[in-house]
Amino acid sequence: MKRYAGWTLALPATLLVVVFLVIPVLATIWTTFTTPAGPFATYTAFFGSGFRRTVLMRTIQISLATTAIAVVIGFLTAYVVSRSPGWLKSILIVAAVFPLLTGVVVRSFAWLIILGKNGILNSTLLNLGLIGEPMAMLYTPGAVIVAMVYLFVPLMILTLVGVLESIPDDLIQASASLGAKPVATFMQVTLPLAVPGLIVGAVLVFTGSFTSYATPQLLGGEQVMMMGTLMYQQAMVTFDWVAASTIAAVMVVITIAIVLVMTRLARRLNPMAV
Amino acid sequence: MNKFFAVTAAVSAVALLSVAPTMAQGKTLTISWWGFNGEKLESIILAPFRAQCGCEIVFETGNNGERLNKIQIRNGGGVDVAYFSDSYSQLGIEAGLFQKIDPAKLPNLAGAYDLAKDPQGGYGPAYSIGRVGIVYDSSKVSTPITSWNDLWREDLAASLTLPGITTTAGPMVVLKAGDHAEVDAFEDADAAFASVAALKPNVVKNYNTGSEMINLFSTGEVSAAVAQDFTLAQIQAAVPTAVWAELGEGAIATLNTVNIPTGAAEPELAYEFINFILSPEIQQQLAEQGVDAPVNTSVTLTPEQAALWTYGADVIAGLQRVDYVKLNAAKTGWIERWNEVFGM
Repeated sequence: MKRYAGWTLALPATLLVVVFLVIPVLATIWTTFTTPAGPFATYTAFFGSGFRRTVLMRTIQISLATTAIAVVIGFLTAYVVSRSPGWLKSILIVAAVFPLLTGVVVRSFAWLIILGKNGILNSTLLNLGLIGEPMAMLYTPGAVIVAMVYLFVPLMILTLVGVLESIPDDLIQASASLGAKPVATFMQVTLPLAVPGLIVGAVLVFTGSFTSYATPQLLGGEQVMMMGTLMYQQAMVTFDWVAASTIAAVMVVITIAIVLVMTRLARRLNPMAV
Repeated sequence: MNKFFAVTAAVSAVALLSVAPTMAQGKTLTISWWGFNGEKLESIILAPFRAQCGCEIVFETGNNGERLNKIQIRNGGGVDVAYFSDSYSQLGIEAGLFQKIDPAKLPNLAGAYDLAKDPQGGYGPAYSIGRVGIVYDSSKVSTPITSWNDLWREDLAASLTLPGITTTAGPMVVLKAGDHAEVDAFEDADAAFASVAALKPNVVKNYNTGSEMINLFSTGEVSAAVAQDFTLAQIQAAVPTAVWAELGEGAIATLNTVNIPTGAAEPELAYEFINFILSPEIQQQLAEQGVDAPVNTSVTLTPEQAALWTYGADVIAGLQRVDYVKLNAAKTGWIERWNEVFGM
């Protein structure tokens, strides 16, 4: 009986997840295989369209770039935070989490003010004499990436701070006492032990970027259309729910694939950690 | 005996009159609309209509697409009165979601412009008329814009915003691109989209909401836009030098319609409501207070009030109409082609 106690306790939560999460997603995907044109017709149409392939590739590239930048910034910040004394650590964590207290639209909108032709950045560069006329920064993939990094770095920091704090100082000291230089200690001790946090953070950032709607819409528009905006267009404007479901299915599959790749990479870095 | 009948008839009439409000009481009118101008609509329309009908009023709010989707999912049910821009109400009509209107139940329709009485072949009337045209910042665009063809001018390079293809006005850009190429966009979409592609260097960004377009003006990102006239006041509040272009070919009419869905639970109450919002008094108040342009010919506005609206017989007579049946049939393909021009 004891053998099944764990399963029994997990059953209610599992049922909730299956009923309210898994079944709706599967039902959505199922509709894409039951069209009169055949089971794979919607997928043939999706991948047969150069525009849709471009949007898919653009979404993957922007999400990967966002994740890579967020990993670097998040790791460095989390490392500093985790090594700071108690009072300073609290202040730094509050500062890192502070942007999360406002909505996605507001945070994206802030970048319209920063990156606009009359924005803070252009004004500063003009006043410093570094540019002769305002640069067009908005409505580019760069603007979308910058805004999404800003959106998701707090998640990466929060995930990594806990992991980096849990690495015992003894290990670092032991590494140094055995003659390892700081870079070697970082690469061979700290980084591998931070892999679980890196994976969780990277997955959160990637999936958040990959499925985002408001930021690409505000800072990219049609010129930088991503999968989320394309799906909205199909569902709410052309009322083509099967096409929208196909996009959702493609997004689910790509997300799972990317997560698996990340996990595999992480396992190479630290076979014990994942 | 006659006296008996007279008394009986009088008592019956009194009884009926006293029952009528009781019958309306307890009824609920469900309205699907955008949800803008909530406070003004409450004071101008809802409070007096509640007093008139003795009924409750509930709402479904959201943009055109979201609300039409909901009605479609409920197979024409769930609401009694639905406000839509004409491109979306046409979609609803084609999907069989709206019932035909009996004009005899809308006495106030007689006072409306002909354009508004029956814009879509027997379905809901228009309660407001707008127009799509061009707005530009006269302090930055030195040569006035006087034609749709001016959108392609080189001096407007990287200074224009167009409505996205998924908005009400977006497909009209394709129609105008067809005119620019001297073809009918419905007949020769290739040439029309070649014109759209030629316009791309002038476009900074395509907007999806009026507020987004106003922000583009106010932040100096653009100095000209293809826009609906209801945004003009807000653009001018942000950029006082912005002006509405007087186009030689005329602006394009946009009608906002009210329809009764096929599954309406209270169709009679819906008729009463539609007739109410078409009354001269309500139309006058809505126009004066900056909510909607009037369709009632008896509304009189001062030049300052009228400046905001598509107002007056001459202006309305000069508007171009769009064939939404053709447009909706072409729209899906156009969205794809538009995406290829701007999103690749």
